[in-house]
Amino acid sequence: MSSLLKRYDFIIKIDLIWLSNYVASFLLILILNFVLPRMMPGDPLHAIYGEEALIAMTPEMEAEIIKRFALDQPWHAQLLTYIIALLRGDLGYSYYYRTGVSDVILCFLPWTLLLTGLAFMISSCIGVILGIESGYRRGSKFDGFMLPIMMFLGGMPDFFIGIILLLLFGVTLGLAPLGGAMSPYAGHSGIDLVMDIAHHLMLPLITLVLVQLAPTYLLTRNAMLTTLRARFIMTAKATGLSEGDIRYKHAGRNSLLPVVTAIGIRVPNMITGALFLEIVFSYPGVGTLLNTALSARDYPLIQGVLLIVTVTVLTTNFLVDMTYTRLDPRVRYAR
Amino acid sequence: MHVDLWREIRSSSAGVFGMVIVAIIAGLAVSAPITAPSYRDIGPVFSPPSGEHLLGTDDLGQDIAAKLIHGARTSLMIAFGVAILSALISVIVGGSAAMLGGTYDRVCMRAVDAVMSLPSVVVMILVGAYLKPDLWLLIILISLFSWPGGARIVRSQTLSLRERLHVVAARAFGASRGYILVRHILPDLGPVLVAIMIQDARRAVLMEAGLAFLGVSDPMVVSWGRMMKQAMAFTYLDAWKWWLIPAGVLLSVTLVGFSLIAAALERAMDPRLQEDV
Repeated sequence: MSSLLKRYDFIIKIDLIWLSNYVASFLLILILNFVLPRMMPGDPLHAIYGEEALIAMTPEMEAEIIKRFALDQPWHAQLLTYIIALLRGDLGYSYYYRTGVSDVILCFLPWTLLLTGLAFMISSCIGVILGIESGYRRGSKFDGFMLPIMMFLGGMPDFFIGIILLLLFGVTLGLAPLGGAMSPYAGHSGIDLVMDIAHHLMLPLITLVLVQLAPTYLLTRNAMLTTLRARFIMTAKATGLSEGDIRYKHAGRNSLLPVVTAIGIRVPNMITGALFLEIVFSYPGVGTLLNTALSARDYPLIQGVLLIVTVTVLTTNFLVDMTYTRLDPRVRYAR
Repeated sequence: MHVDLWREIRSSSAGVFGMVIVAIIAGLAVSAPITAPSYRDIGPVFSPPSGEHLLGTDDLGQDIAAKLIHGARTSLMIAFGVAILSALISVIVGGSAAMLGGTYDRVCMRAVDAVMSLPSVVVMILVGAYLKPDLWLLIILISLFSWPGGARIVRSQTLSLRERLHVVAARAFGASRGYILVRHILPDLGPVLVAIMIQDARRAVLMEAGLAFLGVSDPMVVSWGRMMKQAMAFTYLDAWKWWLIPAGVLLSVTLVGFSLIAAALERAMDPRLQEDV
């Protein structure tokens, strides 16, 4: 009993060390968010809100903002004000959208998650299957055809693949819409609405799947090559199991461990994975929001996006890590 | 790890192909002052390709082909700079962590984990939006986010290298830690370092293009990413055919070149992938 308790104590200790990592990363971002605008030459007010916002600002508003950020006080008072505002969930005010930063971000986030979540699932499934087939038939026509294609796909920048597909299917052939997530003011409902959203989602989704396919495929193929040389595969062959059983039940399943690990590591990237593609397709997700904020120089919004993205990424990172230590105890001792 | 890198890369067709691609791009970059001296000259806007302007002119009336050549210069300088700087940080942090051990080692590895768990793309965009980095600042900025992976690899390699017999022998003869690091460990780290640097270079080219595509880098620096951003605004004209596409193709080809070399190196260093079944 006491040894069990000790073991449990050990696990909690490790978890706490990990947690401290994430706290450190989070603090790094907070400091960056706090220091960057105040480090800029000139008035921090200009840096926090940008030149454009100040033109539209009345002296009363200016005084209000100075009071709000405690800009007339020493830096530690400013830091305290900043942290208290964050604790209240106040990310600031977007002057471009004329509403709270958190509200704006919450409007855009679901579209990103829809796009990246679907792409993540589809690309993982197709990548694993193609990788198993390709690795099992190493050197065959299929393998010789897939491998170079995947290497080229994996090498290309995602936004250029997106641009090519957009120019080809959107501009030249007119098969897909040029941007957005649904037709504006069309008043669709029910099944029409779903079809409309799917129609707009098609092209960005295909691009993202193509982009994410290559790493999964290459990793599965490599894992297959290693597994296929294990003794138990020879045993399986010798006992006269069918090709399909060996390929999927024996070799495929045992090749999955590194693949699942790698796929898991990519879960937190879901929120930033479509950043550039969203901009290419004007898809109303976090990437497009960030781009709009950048061109409007809406600094509170940029900072808010960074903060939300960081928190989400760090939290999912933490959860994925935790899941692994529970699933595969070797991971815990490897650290 | 004693691997003859040069021979390994030459022995794989992917590696050779990658080297040829990077060599061609490097040739373009080096030749820029001779082949495209007047890339900032302004002429008629949106002229289609002709004898005078091989790929026509852009919205400012500047020669697109000349700007593409100078874009190669930017990309490769970033790639080269980040590869050197980032690998240097990796070796310093990873090597010293492995050699000194103890609390210092733990602190270093925590720092590695902390930087690695950040969403680097978004952080770079934020910093870029404030600082509008020029070439040198961009190299530093990208390096600050790309060293941790390398540091982890260098650390584990150093840990295994320093248990090798010849290192143990050197220590028995009274060699200092610094001497062992420089004389015995660094040379053996060579192949791993090259692999790390190629990966870093590839990521740097992509990052630079991405940041320029978003418009968060110095507008004075000619860049393929920035050219694509500018051309995206004129997709209703025919100009994208000789403006947007060549810039994207050059960027993709460069990235694929680096990826192919990296794949060949990975094969060279993982014997399990080599043996033909």
